[in-house]
Amino acid sequence: MRKKQIELLAPVGSFDSLQAAIKGGADAIYFGVEQLNMRTRSAQSFYLSDIKEVSGICKRNGIKAYITLNTVMYEHDMQLLQMILKEAKKAKIDAVIAADFAVIEYCSQHGIPLHISTQANVSNIESVKFFSRFADVIVLARELTLKQVKEIADEIKRKKIKGPSGELVKIEIFVHGALCMAVSGKCYLSLHTQHASANRGACVQNCRRPYIVKDAETGEELMVDNEYIMSPKDLCTIDILDQVMESGAEVLKIEGRTKGAEYVQVVTQCYREAIESVNDGTYSRGKVVEWKREMEKVYNRGFWEGYYLGRKLGEWTPHPGSAATEKKIYIGKGTKYYPKILVGEFILESGSLKAGDTLMVIGPKCGMVKEIVTNLIINGTSGKEAVKGDKITFPFATKITPADKLYKIVGTSHA
Amino acid sequence: MHKVIQYRSKCIGCGICYELQPELWRMSKKDGKATLIKAVGKKQVFILSIPDSEVPKSQEIAAACPVRIIKII
Repeated sequence: MRKKQIELLAPVGSFDSLQAAIKGGADAIYFGVEQLNMRTRSAQSFYLSDIKEVSGICKRNGIKAYITLNTVMYEHDMQLLQMILKEAKKAKIDAVIAADFAVIEYCSQHGIPLHISTQANVSNIESVKFFSRFADVIVLARELTLKQVKEIADEIKRKKIKGPSGELVKIEIFVHGALCMAVSGKCYLSLHTQHASANRGACVQNCRRPYIVKDAETGEELMVDNEYIMSPKDLCTIDILDQVMESGAEVLKIEGRTKGAEYVQVVTQCYREAIESVNDGTYSRGKVVEWKREMEKVYNRGFWEGYYLGRKLGEWTPHPGSAATEKKIYIGKGTKYYPKILVGEFILESGSLKAGDTLMVIGPKCGMVKEIVTNLIINGTSGKEAVKGDKITFPFATKITPADKLYKIVGTSHA
Repeated sequence: MHKVIQYRSKCIGCGICYELQPELWRMSKKDGKATLIKAVGKKQVFILSIPDSEVPKSQEIAAACPVRIIKII
């Protein structure tokens, strides 16, 4: 098979996740700024003043940075929108991801590279042709089959549909992460129940709750097979990635700006390895099993391959939240770093830690680091169990600061 | 007297407070967030005293805010 030039695009909701995405092997990241992005409620958003730093970190690491500005825009948002775009241009952000025509218009006027968000629900070649006047990358609706994706990608080549850069328009699709019960995010449930518009990034996730069917006349409740009748399982395409890469999509996006750095790093790394494996001919069932086992350890609602293989109905999760096989428990934070001997010191603020436990450190410089404690040094001497108030030290390659959080990894009931 | 408190930094600019109670709220064209008119603020927390008669309506606004950043005390 000919090698595919694929861009792996990772979600970033914090500086921790940014490092995690870089370590995981992302080619590009996307992040939201202020309140004009679809994860306004749930993600730890970046501010205007962070744009330069995010861009700088990405450039130093040789990856691209995209800003998501994909909410519905109101009249009172115009000035903030212009401020964000001005800052994005100044910081040489690689592209803006948008669906609202105000953003499209501003980007077009000011020569800011644009990607069309999945919120625009692009599902056919005529829409691609329309948006190609403004954008070089178009994210397709998540409900298309791989066959439909391929038809669109083939037509772009056949009709030579080019974007503002003069290159053929690229197709981007989601390969992993949460799916919406509505067509690519066009959901009004939480607006109806709590004035919380999902299209302003304020989704309260009504779909993730259990529901019963009740007879309004008699009050009788009806049995439903799975009470989480609106909560789709998460998209996971790692076991059909060879087919995904054959579809002609050139940018593969991972969902999850609200998720932890460990999710970003593990999922990005698995897809990075999988893309390389497809390209070098070593992609195998055995590897897929391993990758899925790794990804099951971090946040997930159970996996299915979405609509790509033509399934009509979603697969619904039987769980209220994550089905991850592992969870992290916060136990402390970084206090000191000894650079000559490469040792980090952490203070335990809650819980306890024994030799043999698995640790996870998450921070803005190290991303996510996971290791097993072999030799536990408590307050300078070797010990069996560290408790609240104790200071522990262990070898660590990256500088430790109080921004580094220490977690203990434990199994869950899904393990 | 009661007080309306707005934790402004978390406002997502949906405009529901302005829609339901324009006498107390306006949408800032500068940063797209809701502004509590005539409120006194420090570190993005804004406080406005209101008469008892305005409490029920203000409580309705607090409940309508999708990110729950409005409190009535």
